[in-house]
Amino acid sequence: MISTRILAIETSCDETAAAVVENGRTILSNIIASQTDLHAQFGGIFPEAASRQHIESIYPVVSAALSKAHMGIDDMDCIAVTYGPGLVGSLLTGVNMAKGLAFGKDKPFLGINHIEGHIYSLWLESGEQGRGEADEIEFPILTLVVSGGHTELYLMVDHGQYQHLGGTLDDAAGEAFDKVGRLLGLPYPGGPHIDEAAKMGNPTAFKFPRAVMRDGFNFSFSGVKTAVMRQTKKYHSKETMPVNDLAASFQAAVVDALVTKTARAAEAYGVTAVHIAGGVSANSALRREMSEKLNIPVRYPPLALCTDNAAMIGAAAHRHFINGRRDNFDLDVIPSLQLNTKNNG
Amino acid sequence: MAILNRWTQDFTSSSVEQTVRLGVRLGELLQAGDIICLDGELGMGKTAFARGVGRGWGASVRVTSPSYTLINEYPRLKDGRILYHIDSYRLQTEADSYSLGLDDIFDSDGTVIIEWPTRIEGWLPADRLWIALDEISNTRRSMRFTAAGSRSATLLNEFKRRAFGL
Repeated sequence: MISTRILAIETSCDETAAAVVENGRTILSNIIASQTDLHAQFGGIFPEAASRQHIESIYPVVSAALSKAHMGIDDMDCIAVTYGPGLVGSLLTGVNMAKGLAFGKDKPFLGINHIEGHIYSLWLESGEQGRGEADEIEFPILTLVVSGGHTELYLMVDHGQYQHLGGTLDDAAGEAFDKVGRLLGLPYPGGPHIDEAAKMGNPTAFKFPRAVMRDGFNFSFSGVKTAVMRQTKKYHSKETMPVNDLAASFQAAVVDALVTKTARAAEAYGVTAVHIAGGVSANSALRREMSEKLNIPVRYPPLALCTDNAAMIGAAAHRHFINGRRDNFDLDVIPSLQLNTKNNG
Repeated sequence: MAILNRWTQDFTSSSVEQTVRLGVRLGELLQAGDIICLDGELGMGKTAFARGVGRGWGASVRVTSPSYTLINEYPRLKDGRILYHIDSYRLQTEADSYSLGLDDIFDSDGTVIIEWPTRIEGWLPADRLWIALDEISNTRRSMRFTAAGSRSATLLNEFKRRAFGL
């Protein structure tokens, strides 16, 4: 077995992150300079601060990743970095750092798709479980990537081979969570707070639309967001609003749509398992419903690896590295990068 | 109800589908440097209209909400031009816009569609087509198109002819 050690960097959106990953599975270090505290003050991203923060954080974060792994840059086999999709200024900070390190130390350099990173978060070992469950899985598998920026279903026929089955036609599921969180007066980010509030609420108190289209595997979360907004306007103040019931009913509608479409796709393509990745895969109701409704294994990343991190970029990079892929230093960031069937890199 | 004036046009959309179709009509007419502003609360159909614009313009993939990603770029196959779809929902101050590189986008003569434009108004070129969306009922939306310069006035009048036969 080829042993690889990869330094991975991720700066596509809100987080500045770096990690050292061995063989695409073992996390030797995983550092995230979380900006969520900063964003919470403003109810969302604060790009002026975020972009400056990436530049200020990147060097200490990369240094911390190496020192926590008890290694130096010379011990790395490859430097990998997210080059899209994301915000151009944020991506550039990470890509320039990675290029500088790779060029200066004459190391192989790889650009990785952020979405593919989420998909490979399932191959990482969690501290508690000891080893990556998904390591010896049989293809094809169905992967749902569900986060603030994405809600996409992919059929994964082999490592690095994806068929896009469907995605959101309007808002991403995580975005709907954040927007509804704000409507309900819950703190940012909306996802975990709605999950908590929903535990104390009645999921059938309000009947919100599911928008489960008959054909295809696409999603739509704009209608449920608008329906919640309309309902919240019926109350004079946030104090009189039944926040827990609204949260539970909204969450039930989103989870129902995600589970129904995923189950339908799983059956249509005869997959051996379903993988769910991205920030929303941390949602407790989604995990419960998926496992209940599907009669094939449903796997998730460890909770700490659901949201953006660099370890997942290292896991995806490992596959490309052992397949011999190498990128040149003229690789540019691609803000609208898609996950293609072929060169998904 | 049409206001017979070169600079404004009122319209009522009675469904999401109709909002998308209007977007397609406008998207077909867009040229490099055109700036479209979509102003309205959550759920007024801004992203639905933008989806139509992307389709009419010729984006190779479907247009979805850029709220989280802030800027989505849609290159089209026929000439490689880029449609920028910007969403200022998560922005707090106009200073934020600087780090987004908005000036680069406007300088590059890109075709731009912006949701929540009031938050970055100071950065917007003067000549832009402003579309204010508001709620009439659960499914009906009022749309007021306002041109703010010679190019957007030409665009609006072309759009009126094509979409409403006016």
